[in-house]
Amino acid sequence: MTGIQCCPHIVSFKEAHGLEPFKITQKWLVHCSTPEARQVRARSCTCKVCNSYSGRLHTCLHCIYFGCYERHHIHQHAQDTNHYLAMDLSYGQTYCFHCQDYIYDKQVEQIAQHEWRKVCKFNGWSETLLSTLPYWEPTGVELESLRLNPKRRKIAADSYVGLRGLVNLGNTCFMNCILQAFVHTPMLRDYFLAERHECEKDQCLVCEMTTLFQKFYAGERTAYVPFRLLHLVWTNARHLAGYEQQDAHEFLIAALDLLHQHLSASSDMVNNNNNNKIITGRPSTSSTENSISREDVNGVDDDSNGSSGNPCGCIIDQIFTGGWQSDVTCQRCSGVSTTIDPFWDISLDLPGSMSSPWHCMSPTQTAAPGLAPTIGTVNVTSEQRPMSLKDCLNRFTRPEHLGSAAKIKCSRCHSYQESTKQLTLNKLPIVLCFHLKRFEHTNKSRRKIATYISFPMDLDMSPFMASRRSVNTRDENTVDDALKENKYSLFAVVNHLGSLQSGHYSVFVRQHRDQWFQCNDATILKATIPDVMQSEAYLLFYHKQYIDYD
Amino acid sequence: MAEYNEKKSRDGQMRAAINQQLVETGEREKLKELLRMRLSECGWRDQLKQICKEIVRERGLEHVTVDDLIQEITPQARQLVPDSIKKELLHRIRTFLAQQANL
Repeated sequence: MTGIQCCPHIVSFKEAHGLEPFKITQKWLVHCSTPEARQVRARSCTCKVCNSYSGRLHTCLHCIYFGCYERHHIHQHAQDTNHYLAMDLSYGQTYCFHCQDYIYDKQVEQIAQHEWRKVCKFNGWSETLLSTLPYWEPTGVELESLRLNPKRRKIAADSYVGLRGLVNLGNTCFMNCILQAFVHTPMLRDYFLAERHECEKDQCLVCEMTTLFQKFYAGERTAYVPFRLLHLVWTNARHLAGYEQQDAHEFLIAALDLLHQHLSASSDMVNNNNNNKIITGRPSTSSTENSISREDVNGVDDDSNGSSGNPCGCIIDQIFTGGWQSDVTCQRCSGVSTTIDPFWDISLDLPGSMSSPWHCMSPTQTAAPGLAPTIGTVNVTSEQRPMSLKDCLNRFTRPEHLGSAAKIKCSRCHSYQESTKQLTLNKLPIVLCFHLKRFEHTNKSRRKIATYISFPMDLDMSPFMASRRSVNTRDENTVDDALKENKYSLFAVVNHLGSLQSGHYSVFVRQHRDQWFQCNDATILKATIPDVMQSEAYLLFYHKQYIDYD
Repeated sequence: MAEYNEKKSRDGQMRAAINQQLVETGEREKLKELLRMRLSECGWRDQLKQICKEIVRERGLEHVTVDDLIQEITPQARQLVPDSIKKELLHRIRTFLAQQANL
């Protein structure tokens, strides 16, 4: 570490013994990256005095000796033998008994980093995982910048930093509301503010997004004019060009697609590929040891990863890509064929839709009680409780009977049979976007469905998981519940006001913990939670509460 | 009394065996990383850093040792760990133990 006075004792120790003692200790006792090392660690590391394996065990760097720090047994050893350097076995810090402090040495830190990398590789972890907190060594430019700006700013809980209006450039509220949602996506914010994207290209949407995030967090209060971004969208997504009103959902998908394209074309993909292993976690490993069909699913999943080329591991994929599992069950032999399809958002039909009427339930509805709620004829004007997001999801994931008109060749019994199809979630994305299909375009009419759909602040997706709905569910339900793995929190709601012909978009965004603001182009107003929850949502953005570890 | 001592030593042996199993299988490492990550996520780490900074600022860098810091913040630090994280860890350990046939 630069700038910290090095301990003179470690210098003389290194002169006498070299780096070998550090290497051996790091490799065999601190960062075990082989089964053998783990065994050594498990069997040998106990305090020589009290036999305990806790109490911050340290090892002597001069000889083979283990002693705990809390009960001062390692101190005793140092005093008795004048062995003044010891290493903490939990984190690999070096302690000097002369200095009576933990000390830093660049070479030793490098050894530790090197061994840590091996551990990550061995365990299949990402090195850039939040937990490893890599050392930040400021570059010359950064040091200069720090020197010039000595004032530190602390962001208070009620700070407005990160909130900024966007000027409407001629019916561009469809874009503004999505940009606001992006800026308030925690994982995206971390990515862009950390300047993880490196690129030299001229017309790159990712670079433009980086600028946007910086403009939002620079502390200026006047509304930002995203003209460069709009121009980029116009040139890259022709169907959105012009001053006409556009659909916010269409923009969301186009923007994600463009970002994804520009990211996979840029050089920083090499780094990102390493990350996706952890960040795009599968539904917990505990559910993998299920039935055979489960293994099939994994096989299919791997295939689709390789061939479709869609999940490339870029930040957009890491955050937004989820997977639908579609199970088609043959009515004759009950053979199940499974396919996995990636998705960026979930589009849900609403009650009152003509193209997909709610009252016409498939016959399988009765055959599978408990899977979907019993929804009778739904009338838009009915006085029942309002339909909820969960109702829409239940309907979307119910088993659907593919009638006699849609016979499919069963891969097991090799005959054309009627079958049922059910969608479940195979992989949850970090950010889950719901699109409530309020705009209906049929041959006969184009109209907007203004039905209020209630949605929760905290959403549990467990009931829609493939692992949950498979045959052997056993006790895993309780496991899922306890781990909160499938829980989400609402962080942005896009609303559409007005009619199909002429309307306006605005968005509610969540700031810090529980503050909500309504962003309406250049205007930002404080909002209450009831304001948000009672709004007529068009797009809903949920963020995962816990990021998968495995 | 003899019975109590015997039980205590049995408990000790069991704990040691469990610890060994946790280390050998690599589970301990995983749990450690999980804990580190959770503590970072929930802001615990930043909170503690802030407390330490304040102590150092108050007394001056020269007058604080790591031992002082540890002694001073440990009770508070333990208390600040959210219950949900403790529960999650406990749950993971239980699940792991249930899978171990040789204990």
